[in-house]
Amino acid sequence: MIIFRVILLFFILISPLKANTIYNLIKIPNLEIYEINTENKLKYFYAASSFRLGVQKNIICLSSNKKNYDEKYQVIERNLKKYSHSFLKKINLKYIVMCENLSISGINTAGIPDNVMKTLILDIEFNKKYFERVIHHEIFHIINDQYRELFNENNWKEINTPNFVYAECSTCTEKLGLNTYTKKNGFFTEYSKSTVSEDMAEVYSHLIFLDPEEIKQIRNSDKILKKKISYIEKKIKLIDNSFSF
Amino acid sequence: MIKKIKASTSEKIIFIFLIFLGSLTIFSYFVIKNKCLFVKNYKPENINFQNPENIAILNVPCGNVIIELYPNISPNAVKRFKTLILSNAYEDVAFHRVIENKLVQSGDLEFGKKESLNYAKIGTGKSGLGTIKSETDSDFRYVAGSVGLARTFHNDTEDSQFFIILQDEPLFEGEYTPVGKVIYGLEVLKKIKHQRHSENILRPDFINSFKMLK
Repeated sequence: MIIFRVILLFFILISPLKANTIYNLIKIPNLEIYEINTENKLKYFYAASSFRLGVQKNIICLSSNKKNYDEKYQVIERNLKKYSHSFLKKINLKYIVMCENLSISGINTAGIPDNVMKTLILDIEFNKKYFERVIHHEIFHIINDQYRELFNENNWKEINTPNFVYAECSTCTEKLGLNTYTKKNGFFTEYSKSTVSEDMAEVYSHLIFLDPEEIKQIRNSDKILKKKISYIEKKIKLIDNSFSF
Repeated sequence: MIKKIKASTSEKIIFIFLIFLGSLTIFSYFVIKNKCLFVKNYKPENINFQNPENIAILNVPCGNVIIELYPNISPNAVKRFKTLILSNAYEDVAFHRVIENKLVQSGDLEFGKKESLNYAKIGTGKSGLGTIKSETDSDFRYVAGSVGLARTFHNDTEDSQFFIILQDEPLFEGEYTPVGKVIYGLEVLKKIKHQRHSENILRPDFINSFKMLK
């Protein structure tokens, strides 16, 4: 043990201090700049090696390869350029972190939004089929976290049929499917039925992702979804009146 | 009769080596020890400024650092900065956070003063004037020499602490409130005491004086 301590001390003493601006800004280690000169001023980072976060280090994400980063950056950037700099400033989002196999306490997740650190961590290996829509889903969580007072959960629950009950939390249910229902009955996906905030995020992500014509048809065919879509639209307009869906 | 003994070649070499060693010791003690030796000290009175009312002179161990303040970019932050400069609040305040060739940070008026330096709390002190709102909307480029106000993790917590960057930091843009830029004397700041293994400095350098030109 003493030898180990001496060796550790030796390495500490010979290692010069390396200032890491990214770590100082968002407290995520092992990141490097991917792209910082974007039109809406989003800064993209990638995991150069795996990192662990959280008090119990229960958030883990792995590094990926250059080809994967290059491919997924194109997809992410294409989706996020929809958001103007002023809107991103309002919702407090500035940094996008790309990595793969993102998990919280062993449960895989597509993204982790953190409006306090202005950061969205995205798992670039998340299911290709849903990846683009999921980006907007996570954006909604940032919006929701930043404007908690705008999105009233009780008002939202009242839109559903009286006998419907959400789960206690998004991970304490088996309702995790992300396939868009053909027959919707007030919910876009199975995951929508997990919690209010996930339901809102699913409505928002479909609203952004689907064609306006499809949204129009959904409004005409599903009264509950019509109300939910209008609710989200109204609240987003309160945040930024110039926002276009 | 005393016999004259000639020094051998090896004895001569040792003698020359000893003289060389002695000279080196004297040179090291008086010349190399002076970290400010090759640093140019700018005299503001010899320079013509376009906006003399926005020129601040920071005097540190190796000389003057001449800073131009930008009230058009960050009016409230510059107003706060000028208030503190004009009240001589920054005199004898430590450069408590220094990263070699990257940045120097000072301005902790509560725990960073020479006479009441508190290593445990330095960097967390306040000015007593309260915090001000962040001004980060401008397209200010954080190039080497840029001066910004430090803050906590949250916006709108700027007070008296400031930093000067010694290299370009594009990630600072839109993140920290800029107050100005060093126009002369950046090399003086590179001589501020730093440590190889820590950002926090034991027995730090202090600001001698910080004054407005006019």
